[in-house]
Amino acid sequence: MATFWNKNGRKFAYGACGLLLFGLIWFLATNGTELGKILPDPVTVLRKFFVSFAEPIGTKTMVFHILTSLRRMLLPYLVACAAGILLGVVMGWYKPLEAIVKPYIELIRPIPPIAWIPLSIAWFGFAEMSKYFLIFLACFPTITINTYSGVRSVDETIVRAAKMLGARDSQLFTTIVMPSTVPYIFAGLQVAIGSSWATIVAAEMIRSSEGVGWLIISGQETSNMPQVLVGIVAIALTGLVLVSFMRLLETKLCAWNERGQ
Amino acid sequence: MKTKKKFNKYMLVSIVSVAVGIFIWWLVTAGLGLVKSNILPAPDTIVRTFIKKLYDPNPEGGTLFVHLLSSLRVALSGYGLGVVLGIPLGIIMAWYPRIEMTVRPVFDLVRTVPGVAWIPVMVSLAGIGLLSKALVIFISAMVATVINSYSGIKQTKEVHLWVGQTFGASNWELLTQIAIPSALPMIMTGCKIALGQAWTTLVAAELLASTKGIGYMIQQARGIYRLDIVIVGMIVIGLTGAALTGIISLIEKRVLKGGKY
Amino acid sequence: MQEKKQAKVQVQNLTKKFGDLLVLDNLNFEVQEGEFLCIVGPTGCGKTTFLNTLTKLYVPTAGEILVNGIPVDPKKQNISYIFQEYSAYPWLTVKENVMWGLKIKKVPLKEAEESAMEMLDIVGLTKFQDYYPGQISVSMLQRVVIARAFATRPELLLMDEPYGQLDIDLRFRLEDELLKLWERTKTTVLFITHNIEEAVYLGQNIMVLTNKPTSIKTVIQNPLPLPRDVMAQDFVELREHVTELIKWW
Repeated sequence: MATFWNKNGRKFAYGACGLLLFGLIWFLATNGTELGKILPDPVTVLRKFFVSFAEPIGTKTMVFHILTSLRRMLLPYLVACAAGILLGVVMGWYKPLEAIVKPYIELIRPIPPIAWIPLSIAWFGFAEMSKYFLIFLACFPTITINTYSGVRSVDETIVRAAKMLGARDSQLFTTIVMPSTVPYIFAGLQVAIGSSWATIVAAEMIRSSEGVGWLIISGQETSNMPQVLVGIVAIALTGLVLVSFMRLLETKLCAWNERGQ
Repeated sequence: MKTKKKFNKYMLVSIVSVAVGIFIWWLVTAGLGLVKSNILPAPDTIVRTFIKKLYDPNPEGGTLFVHLLSSLRVALSGYGLGVVLGIPLGIIMAWYPRIEMTVRPVFDLVRTVPGVAWIPVMVSLAGIGLLSKALVIFISAMVATVINSYSGIKQTKEVHLWVGQTFGASNWELLTQIAIPSALPMIMTGCKIALGQAWTTLVAAELLASTKGIGYMIQQARGIYRLDIVIVGMIVIGLTGAALTGIISLIEKRVLKGGKY
Repeated sequence: MQEKKQAKVQVQNLTKKFGDLLVLDNLNFEVQEGEFLCIVGPTGCGKTTFLNTLTKLYVPTAGEILVNGIPVDPKKQNISYIFQEYSAYPWLTVKENVMWGLKIKKVPLKEAEESAMEMLDIVGLTKFQDYYPGQISVSMLQRVVIARAFATRPELLLMDEPYGQLDIDLRFRLEDELLKLWERTKTTVLFITHNIEEAVYLGQNIMVLTNKPTSIKTVIQNPLPLPRDVMAQDFVELREHVTELIKWW
């Protein structure tokens, strides 16, 4: 019990103080002030947030909105993962293919995924496909490049030594290349999730009928500021869950990697 | 000598690959007319539109320069503020454990909210002009700089600090004479990443709530089915983003004394 | 009656535990001013831990360390430490690195520069004073660190296997350089090494530590006069004697 208080307990206490302080400042700034006429106070926002799990906003409850946004993001993300890792590995392994494909990826990369929104709306209208297309575009170059970097970073001498001992290509692949590529792939996956989340929120704000991004924009359109902030709270919490999940995954995957080395 | 030859061979493959791609693009659009220009304009149309847009304010009210200038003004002011505040905040969070423990939870929640999501809140507070967009960009740039500055300080090599301690350096000297110089490479990386974030958030903000700027130009163009202008806009966004990153890289080289780090 | 001179370093009942792991077990000894003490022992026996507690980088679980009669304090006393890992600051030039300790100790600029240039001259790096650590070779890096350590004219110098990574020729040269610097500055030196030959070559006294939990097995005096000859009969005998002491487990 004593040791808990020493490290984790203190972290918790300070952190809780920080949150409370933040909430207090927010409350004082908006409770009965000029600012409070524009922005709602934290109590109103939190109450509305919890209520929304039972009572729908628009036509759906909070759970549906969150899950919709997640679905729109995760489906193309997984497809981009599979395609990106595959392409990245093949590019890293065969230089001619790298020379053919790399320029396209480098040309697409500087363009923020959000800039593709008008084009995706022009091509796919307001169907779900436009969002899938967008998210795929947001993830695919990053994952491919990170994977490809990982494969390229494998120590040439180890590969040559293994080849001399008679290892076949497939063996080289599974025992040498993949393990040292995993951290790179993982870094790419983490960056991709961050930009996907930002992209889907933006896409929903621009054109959709449900989802966390829609919560915000419809709140603004109906001058319903509490709803806007409820949307932000939903985004923050969901984002936090995603990030924590990725970090957990990282410790599992890369711990094995470190032990191996 | 051998590596130089290899380099040229693959460069050639890349160039041929892109040339073939452009040719196929032209073939499919203008050459064979398989795809109509309101779905995908031909490459020569794009070039013509680009040149025309340099001096023609039609159809949405501004030339390319006017839009670009407006976008840059907003982006750079938000970015500048974000970096100026973010670097010290990241450093302080990394160096003083109590500050970190207090600020952390609030920061972790704010950081997963994409800059875009704050637009309705900022617009309610500051109207639809430069300030609201700059504030939103400021948030995204600041988050990225804090994260990287924090990492940079946290990664200070223990042995470097130990040298300082045995010479009798004070806590302040350890921070300013060792930790901060040692963290500069990561801080510069943070500046680059923050620029990417700022530029992306700018585009999103202009798609949503603007009356000028490149994002606005694209959004208007889509509304009147001028996909050629949309694509020109996207290309300009990509090029500008790349140019800005290039400038930061140059600054980075000077700060890090020509890579002697 | 001549008063017994106070020892430079007095270690009393020094104990260090990491959690439940006892690393240093009740160490007691003294080091005289100007002495060159070599510390040897089996690998992993806590030599580095010992040196770290000496400079308050690690806080002792129990016991006292006195330098000049008062508890050791790097802020008040002039101590230098050369670590096993390369510790030159990559963002400073060679000259700035060497002057760094002097800067922290608020030595006036002119004096600091003179001292630094003198040290650079002794280690032969004057030509490279404006280079950055990233531009010079690994052997030169360690000499920068040594110059930096001596530039402050420390009263106590700790060295943790500083020549471990270097090849033999360079090692011999640096060892001679070190002895020259020591004779010139009359510093008290504590030198850790796992290389017995090096210990016998450099040390006036050789302290042998035991395995964990570490205590002092014995301290051997090295009567051989400087400069020492590694091939000489008495040198070899002494070296073998020390090796036996360590091997005896």
